Formats: sequence, C-alpha cells, structure tokens
Amino acid sequence: MKRRALAILLLGVMCLGLLTGCGGKKTEEPAAGTSDDGVITINYPTFQCGVNTAAPVVAQLVKEFNEEYAGKYQIKLEEIPGDANYVDKIKVQLGTGDLPPVVYGAGYNLLDLALAKDLVVDLTDIVNADPEWKALYSDAALTTNSRDGKIYASSVEGSVVGYFYNKDLFAQAGIEAPAKTWDEFFQQCETLKAAGITPLALDTADSAWVTQLWWGAMVATASENGLAFMQTMNPDDYNFDEMVAAVEKVQKMLQDYTTLDAIGGKYEHAANNFLSGQAAMIANGPWMIGDFSDTSKTTADFADKVGSAIYPDNFVYDAPIQGYFVTKQDDPKLEEAAIAMVKFFTSAHAQQLGLEMQGMVPASSSVEISADAAATYPLLVEFLSQASEATVRSDNMQATMYSNLLDVVSQELPRLASGELDAAAFCQALTDAAAKN
Amino acid sequence: MKIKKGWIPIFLLPAVILFLLIYAVPLVMVFVTSLFDYRLTGQGMTFIGFDNYVRLFHDPDFAKALFNTVIWIFIQCIAHVALGTFIALILYKKPKGWKFVRTAYMIPNIISNAAIGMIFLNIFNPQFGIINSVLKAVGLEHLTHNWLMDSSTAFPSVTLIWVLFAGYTTTLVLAQALSIDESVLEAAKVDGATPFQTDLFVVLPLLKKIIGTTMVMAATYMLQMFDLIYITTNGGPGKTTTNLPLLLYGVYKGENNYGYANTIGVFIVVIGVVAMTVINKALKVNDEDY
Repeated sequence: MKRRALAILLLGVMCLGLLTGCGGKKTEEPAAGTSDDGVITINYPTFQCGVNTAAPVVAQLVKEFNEEYAGKYQIKLEEIPGDANYVDKIKVQLGTGDLPPVVYGAGYNLLDLALAKDLVVDLTDIVNADPEWKALYSDAALTTNSRDGKIYASSVEGSVVGYFYNKDLFAQAGIEAPAKTWDEFFQQCETLKAAGITPLALDTADSAWVTQLWWGAMVATASENGLAFMQTMNPDDYNFDEMVAAVEKVQKMLQDYTTLDAIGGKYEHAANNFLSGQAAMIANGPWMIGDFSDTSKTTADFADKVGSAIYPDNFVYDAPIQGYFVTKQDDPKLEEAAIAMVKFFTSAHAQQLGLEMQGMVPASSSVEISADAAATYPLLVEFLSQASEATVRSDNMQATMYSNLLDVVSQELPRLASGELDAAAFCQALTDAAAKN
Repeated sequence: MKIKKGWIPIFLLPAVILFLLIYAVPLVMVFVTSLFDYRLTGQGMTFIGFDNYVRLFHDPDFAKALFNTVIWIFIQCIAHVALGTFIALILYKKPKGWKFVRTAYMIPNIISNAAIGMIFLNIFNPQFGIINSVLKAVGLEHLTHNWLMDSSTAFPSVTLIWVLFAGYTTTLVLAQALSIDESVLEAAKVDGATPFQTDLFVVLPLLKKIIGTTMVMAATYMLQMFDLIYITTNGGPGKTTTNLPLLLYGVYKGENNYGYANTIGVFIVVIGVVAMTVINKALKVNDEDY
C-alpha cells in the first residue's frame, strides 16, 4: 500500500514538473506599456551596444530621453550584440506580429518587411505638422524612409562612403594623388603592385562589404543604366553589359591586387590588412576613422598616414541609413511614446551628438559640423568636403539587393576569383537567386 | 520479483506528454506549414499543396546539398567510426599511456564547435595558416592553397575538421571492449588465434551493436551539422560545402520563405529516419542477442 502511495506521489510530482515553466510568476518588468506609476515603458532592442561604434551615442540618448520624459516615458534597452542576431530577432518577431514599439531599420531594410505585414505607423501627418522635424528630411532621406508618398521612418545617420588610402605607400610607389578615372585607378594598382605593395584590402565573406563598394562604384559610373540600377530597390536582373564589365574588373582585383586572405576573408581581415599597412587602399565609410588612431588596432602614427578620397569618375555613396520606425501597438499611449522616442533619437541634437561622440555623419545636411567635431575628426571634415564635390551618387549595392543575394555574393566571389566562374556566369547566378524572391 | 506491467504506461506518460509537446506537435506544424506559401514578406499563409515539394525536387541547390549531406553521412559512418574503433581496439589492450591517450583524444570533442571552427579557419588561412606555412617551409610552396575557398579543396578540408576527432566513438567502443569477458579472449588464445585474429574474429563481432550505435550517432551528427560549416565556409565556394541544414537556414534567412524552409526540414527528418533504419537493420542493433 505504501509503495502504491509512493508511486502515485512520484507520478504526481513528475506531472507537476511538466507544468513547471508553463505558468509561474509574471516577470517583474512589463514587456512594454504602462506601469503602476503611470510611466510608459518602451522596451528597445538594439545591436548598437557593447563594442558597436554607435553604442555610446545610443546609451547617451537613452539617458537624456529618460531624463527629459521622467515620470512619463522610459526606455529600457535590450542589448543584442551582433547585427545579424538583431535582424534575426526582429524577423522572428515579425513572424509573430509582435514587434517592439521602435525598430531601427539600419542597413537591413527591415522597414519593407514590417510594411508587408502592415505593422508600421504612418508618420506623414506628424512629421508634416512639425516644421523642425520635417526640416531634417533631405530629399534622399525622404526617399529612404518613405513608401508610396508616406513617411514611415526617420534617419539619424548618413552613409557617405568613399575610400581611404595609405599616403606613405602611395609615396613609395610614386603616386601623388588618388585616381580621377577608373583607368588611372587600375594603373595605380599596377604601379603599387610593381613596387611590391598590395594595392587593395578586399573581402568576400559576410556579403563582401569592402569589395562590393568598389564593384558598385564601377557599376554606378559606367553609364546612366548602371546608375539607374544602383538606385533601384531590389533589382532582379544582373545580366547587363555594365554589370558584367564591372564584375570582370572585380575579378581582376581579387586575382591580382589583393591579399591572399581576401578570398574567404571577412571585413575584419580587410580592415586589419589596411590598418597594418599591408594594403594601400580600403573602401569604407567614415565610421572607420576612429580605428586609424586606435592603438589597439594599429600603430600610434597611422592616422597621419591616411588620406581619404571619393571614387574615380566623381562618385560617392551617399544615402541616409534607413532610420527608426514606430510599430503599431494595441496601446495608443505606447505608440505616442514610441513616436516621441523616434523624434528624439533623430533630432538635430541626436545627429550632432553622434557626430561629436563617434564621428557619425549626420543624416541631415542642415546639421553643421561643430568646431569640436572638426578638431577631433579632421579626416572626416576632409572627406565630407571631397564628397560634396562628387557629381554621381547612389546607395550601396548591399543595401538595395535582395537579402538572399548577400550569401550568394559571398559564395560565388571565391569561384569568380579562382576563374571557375566568369563574370557572365557570376551575374547569372545573382539573377537566378534574385528570381527566388 | 513480479513486475506489475500496468504501471509502465503510467510512468511513461510524462515522457510521452513531453515528447508530444516538444517534438511531435512542432513536427506536425513543420509538415503542415510546408504545404503553404508562407513568407515573412507575405500577408498570410496560402495553401499550395505539395508545390514546395515539387520545387524541392527541381532545385539544383537542394540536389547539391542533399548530395553533400549523404556523402558526409557515409564518410562519417565509415571513416570516422572506423578510426574511432581502430583506436579503441588499440587502447583496450591497455598499452602504456592508454589512459592519457583516451583522455587527450576526447579533448577536441569537448571544445565547442564554434571554437573548433575558428581554430581551423586559422589553420587553413591562406596567408598565415599553419598548413601553408609548413608547405612553404619545406619547399612545397606550389602546393599551397586557399584550402577552404578553392572548390577543389573546400569539401575535403571541411570534412577533415570533424572526421578525425572520433573521441565519442572511441570512448563508447572502448567501454564495450573493456567489458568483454576475459575468458572469451583466453579461449581464443588457447585455440591459437593471433592478436590480430582475435581482434578481427572475436572482439569486433562482439562490438557490432555499439559500433552500430556510434554509426547512428555519426549519421545524426552529420544531419545536424551546421555551425562548423557556417563558420568556416558558409557553404561556399558556390554550393561546394552546403548541406541541408545550411540550405534550410539560407532559405529561411535570405528568402524569408518559411514554407519552403520547412519543406527542407521535413526532408531532413525523412533522411534521418531512413538512415537510422538502414543502419539499425544492417548491423542488427536492436536484435536481442549477438
């Protein structure tokens, strides 16, 4: 009898054990919404944390926002290290229709994914009713953050991207100034190579950020057709002459003008090759400027050796990074709080803060570079001055291509480099992959 | 002692409920959603019957991933298990230092795959990796390669990352070998069998079941393999090192096509069941007696 009672007891414990975790005490913090004291909490997941260059800026903005809206709104940061992890999280939440009140679109075009699910708050009337906010939208920012004439997002950061070169290595090869044309550019590569200097720091992994910057610049400057392609969102045809010609040049770059570890290498490999003086040029944005004086990454005097340039044929990447957007919430007060946060995070003050703290390029041209920022980031001032002279501009290829092509680029570039694929076959592979969307 | 069998199903109940909730229900959901056009970019789910399965069998990327997965299962079941068994057969005779070797051989298996991936990424690095450095040092520079990014060497290079580390197989087979009754081995010795003949005709047949079990483990390990490939080659160059889990992830993450990704998931389950059934039948793993 005792045994039977014990057996039944054990069985009961096991069944109870199963239920553990199904219920239990609710979490102390509300997921998002109004707490007992009337403060509306905005849970904000972000990858701009830890070692991310924008982390100090976001932390400061959160601190200032919570002070300004004390007793009314409060932001709680949810740190998600790694851009890819953040994108994965947002995609999973998109699948369930349960997005955080504020999402940063960044360079991952999350806005269109959220719009496809009809989860984004239309900001058009709110922005138009606020002259100060509206004034921060340039034409380019409107294009980036609007769909079908409606404003859905607000940018804080611009993306003006050229390239950097090592002045010492250029001088060793007898090169006096960055190339003005692509023919001159490839001649300079030959000259550097002849002098025993690796001309380019490139990569192929993680969607080949550095390599695709050179590639896109060649497409954009090839013709009106090439520029139109670069300004198209989610293009699906890579089989055209300008593209094939540009890919042929990328193939030459990978075969003749870069380091061995570029094939299969990530951005970090390319950056390290440039920062260690092993390669003479790297295409990248101004956010890299801080690295030139970071003694944990390079030598103390490296910053003095670096010059900046726009691409040959007067081209520069110039497109605001897709900004913050507000998602539809059951609680209208939470939506209001989220709108206040987006406005605060993309204000002229926020853009100025990003510039001064981390050298981030403001999304709005009306935000002037302060004397402090100019003193801290002279190379940024030099580059922005050069960029203002550019006559051809577009967004970068990575930001506009279908997301499944990012992996295809990384997988096929090594085959292009080895000669297993020719330029036409590479372009066909991209077209085939685009057709799957 | 008399066992009251009526209690057995009752005590199995918690495990069955757990299985149903955690595995069976999601598995059914995966199958059901594989019958829908279900994308992150779509407004909802549209029933399309077996269209995703039709696409699967016309998809060259799937064919390549399936081929790679099957080849890796074969390699793992044969080369990896054979190596682990061979080492176990040496160690069960307890040569000097056998305990050290047993422990040392297990170490790579307790390091996380992410760390192993990073280690091999550096070993195979074309610029400063140890393989190319050694080849250069001994005057064989013409043999240097970008091992992980050249289509001709990527597949064998990635395979090498896991095929040599058969610590689990060695441990399991060794444990079984050490439990063989001494009298059996002595009888073989009395009958004039050489050590090699004893291993081949006495010990190995007695290890058949545990070898079968390790083969099942090896096959399922290959069906789950993701992180090592993702870190080292991400399935490239081209689709040279893409397997089914990596293809599934690419479809989910890149195309945002959950329906098709789940179709690949269903196929992975089917292959797993087939592989386990074949191995179990071939080696009679579930038979009562030797």
